[in-house]
Order: sequence, then C-alpha cells, then structure tokens
Amino acid sequence: MDRLSKQKKIQFWALTLLFFILPVVFLFLKSVVLNFGFGRSSGIDFTLRGWETLFSESQLIQATLVSLGIGALVVFLNLSVGLLAGKALAFYSFKGKALIEALFLLPLIVPLLAIAMGIHVAMIRIGLSDTWIGVVLIHLVPTVPYSIKMLQSGYASIGTGLLQQAKVLGTNRWHRFFSVELPLLMPSIRSTVFLIFVISLSQYVITAIIGGGNVVTLAMIYFPFLDSAESTVLAAFSAWFALLPILFYLSVELLLSLLPYQNPWRTRL
Amino acid sequence: MKLSETNKAWILLTPALLFLSLPAYGLFSAIWTSLHENGSFTTKHYRTLFQQETFWESIGYSVRITLLSTVLSLVLGLLITRAFSPFIQSTKGKLSIWLPMLFPHFVWGYIVLLLFEQSGLISHLLVEMGLISSTSSFPIITNDQNGIGIILTYVGKETPFVVLMLLPIYAKQQDGYKDLVQTLGGGKWAAFKDAEWPWVSPVLLEAGIILFAFILSAYEVPFLLGATFPEMISVLTYDWFYSGDWNERPLAFAAMIITSVLIGIMSFIAFSAMNRKRMLLTKGQG
Repeated sequence: MDRLSKQKKIQFWALTLLFFILPVVFLFLKSVVLNFGFGRSSGIDFTLRGWETLFSESQLIQATLVSLGIGALVVFLNLSVGLLAGKALAFYSFKGKALIEALFLLPLIVPLLAIAMGIHVAMIRIGLSDTWIGVVLIHLVPTVPYSIKMLQSGYASIGTGLLQQAKVLGTNRWHRFFSVELPLLMPSIRSTVFLIFVISLSQYVITAIIGGGNVVTLAMIYFPFLDSAESTVLAAFSAWFALLPILFYLSVELLLSLLPYQNPWRTRL
Repeated sequence: MKLSETNKAWILLTPALLFLSLPAYGLFSAIWTSLHENGSFTTKHYRTLFQQETFWESIGYSVRITLLSTVLSLVLGLLITRAFSPFIQSTKGKLSIWLPMLFPHFVWGYIVLLLFEQSGLISHLLVEMGLISSTSSFPIITNDQNGIGIILTYVGKETPFVVLMLLPIYAKQQDGYKDLVQTLGGGKWAAFKDAEWPWVSPVLLEAGIILFAFILSAYEVPFLLGATFPEMISVLTYDWFYSGDWNERPLAFAAMIITSVLIGIMSFIAFSAMNRKRMLLTKGQG
C-alpha cells in the first residue's frame, strides 16, 4: 500500500513537471539565453539583454501602470459586488434563487466578443468608449460571475453560526463585517483577488474594441511585439505577465496586513 | 420598519443585478444590430451570412476544435483529480498544477509556439537525439490547418481549470458510499457510477459548458496559433467588424449571434441529457 502511494506520488510529479512546470521554466530560460547551442559544440550564451530591452521601452512601463490600475479597480469592484451577492446566495433562500444563480453564470456563456461589440455603440453614445472607465466596465463581464461563485462558497463554508453569535453579542453591521466575516473569508478573498487580476490582465480583444487603441494595457502591446521583437525580449515580456499578478498579490497582502485584526499582538476586539 | 429576510437578500443582490444589465444590454444590442438596417427590421444580414462559404467552413472548424479541446480537458482533468487528489491538495501540488492559470491564454499560446514550432525546442531536441534528420522534417503542428496548436494550448490551460472545479468534490468525498457499493457486491465500475458520478457530473457539466462557450468564441489563441485558412469564427468576426467595408459589420454581429445560439443549443442538450438521467434516478428510488 505504501509503495503504491509512493509510486503515485512519483507519477504525479512527473506529470506536473512535464506538462506544467518545465514549459514555464523553459520560458524563463528563453528570456536569458541567446541560444542553446543546438547543432554546434559551443556552450549556452546567457544574456540579460532581453530584460534590459524590455524595460527600456517607455511604452512597457506605461502599459504596466495602466494594467495595474485597471486590474486594481476591477478587483475592487468584483469584491464589492461578489461579497454582497455571495452572502445573499449563501445565507438566504428566496423565490427564484435557482434562476438568479443561472443568470449569474450567463455572462460566461454568451460570447464576450458579441457583448463587447453590442456595448460598443452605447459606450460611444455616452462617451465611455476609448476611456479606461469603459475598459474597467467591460472587464467586469468575464470576472464578476467567478467572484460571486467563489465568495458564495466562501460564505457557505463559514456558516451562519459565528455571525449570529456576534449579533447576539450586540455588534453593529460594520463591526461584524470587519471583525468576523472578513477574517474568516480571507482564503476566498485571496483566491478571488488573484484570479480576477489574471483574467483582467488577459483581455485583449474586448480591451481593443472598447478602449479603441487609446487605453493601452499590456495585452495591447504584446501582440504587436510578437511580430517585431527578438525571442529573448518576447520571452521576458511573456514572463512579465506572470510576475505581475504575483507582485499585485504581494502588495494586496501587504495592505491587508495593515488591517487591525491581522496584528499578532491584538488581544481583544 | 424591519426588513423581511427575503427583501434583505434582494438588497444584497442589487449591485450584482445591476452588473447583469451590462452583458444583457450588450447581447440585446448585438441581436438588434444583426436584425436591422437603417432602422428598419430585416433578415438580410443572416441571408447574406448563410450564403458565405467561409462562414460555414469557419463554424465547422471552430466547433471541431472546441469540442476536441473541451472533451480532452474534461477527461484529463477528471483523470488527474481522481488519481492524484491527495497530492494536489498539498500546497506544493496546488501551486504546480495551477501554474498555467498564472498566464494569460495568449502567453500560454506563445509557450506552445516555443515548444512545438518547427524551429522550437522539441524539434531541436529530436534532431539532437538523432530521431529526425533536420528540424524541417518535424511535422507542422502550430499555425496548422487542423488547429493542433490551438488545441494543445487550450488543453494545457483548461485542464488545471477542470481540476480546480473538481478538487472540492474529491476533497470532501466520503468513502462510505463506495464501501456500501462494495458490500452490496458491486465492482469498481459500479462504485464509480453510483458513488462518484452523481457528485462529479454536475460540476463536469458546468465546467464543460463554460469551456465550450469560451473556446468557441475566444479570439486571442486562434489569432496567435491559427492558420490563415480556415479561420476560427471569432477571428472571422473580428475581421468583419474592423474591415473597411461598412457592409460587413452587420455580418460580424450575425455571426456572433449564430455562435451564441449554437452555445445555447449545446448547453440545452447537455442539461437535458443530465436531467433525464436524474429523473430516471429519482423514479428508480420511488
């Protein structure tokens, strides 16, 4: 039995190594290696030129800041909508709940391209096309359904018991939210922040349609790069897409650690 | 006045319902545009669309690629979760299997290019090992007419998504039901069918529909890894939407509405297939 599970463990790591880890390692290597010495006896040439070229592009820094700003706002709006709706769906039963839950899944099923093309004209009319606000709004469409689902299951797993306890002890709504719900929901909030930021960062076509080329996010300059840049620069750019969510996540963690109840020396409410 | 419990729920849901008006407006506006010309109702755009050879080729090609990618991701995701769920639940396991989720789809597409291009890593490695004589004898599987590169990208990206959806079920799974099946003399297949499938199938269905809809209509990956012909429907739509010819714009809307209808039909078939099974199950119990 023990040997069997050890064997399985080896299988698991071989599988993830081959299909998930090595491709990513190769991408990072590609960004610092000029050539792998195939077909020649010469060794591998390391270089940091790819990363240097990448960061010397003023366009890249600008686009990174735009992407960060839009992503942060999208995440914030997602949390606001998702926490409220998630709580309603987890704790209350009401007529039409099944229908509402199905409706919240619909934005993931209707083609995003159709929605963006349809909204485009209205955005022009009310002056939101070509603006970052318009882009933030359209980024909500592929993200909010995930937030609602993740935070709903987050609320469902903490249950109503502790919240009722806090109520009985005479706390007000905000106090309850900040000292009971939020700390207990932290795991769900963390994964929501991460996933939503990555999705927002990945949107090319809807950003192009609504942003009209005026809102230049990272995705908007990645595609033109594909045709022109050399492979080390492109690989560095690709890796940058994965580093950014990690940086964003770490800064959110830092912000969260400033919240009072994260303080390890806290002894009472 | 004190709010009733139901009203409280609706108040909490208000922002989310407001949000829904965004995609709803987009969809209805797209339908409206596809059915009007100069403000009057017409089915002309659909008739023009249906006469286009490229449209039908594109739809067939897109559905084929989408079905293959979706089914492969679901099967692989299920097999991996079933076999390895104790390892995936450890932090290290989680991080490694969800690594692809850190990357946008188009970046994972670029990784597939780096690996599978004729001048890519795998082709070079095969030459080094002496299995093929030169990189040009490596088969063309990116930007190819069969969409292999697109499928490879999606399977790599979506399998972790399926694992993510399935993991909570296998983490909470109780062995009691399986023991019961075994006690009653059922084999491994019976244990899977009666003690596992009923919990897994709704999640697989949901993941499958999300994946089908997404892959059928996403633009970035086929743009990067597709061939010039045939094009996937999203790429064709985008070309029409931004073509200089003003007459082609309504075609873009009509093509996307047909795609939505297709997704609707697929979801309906999948749902009713499962509900029929459920009905039979409840009847059998009664």
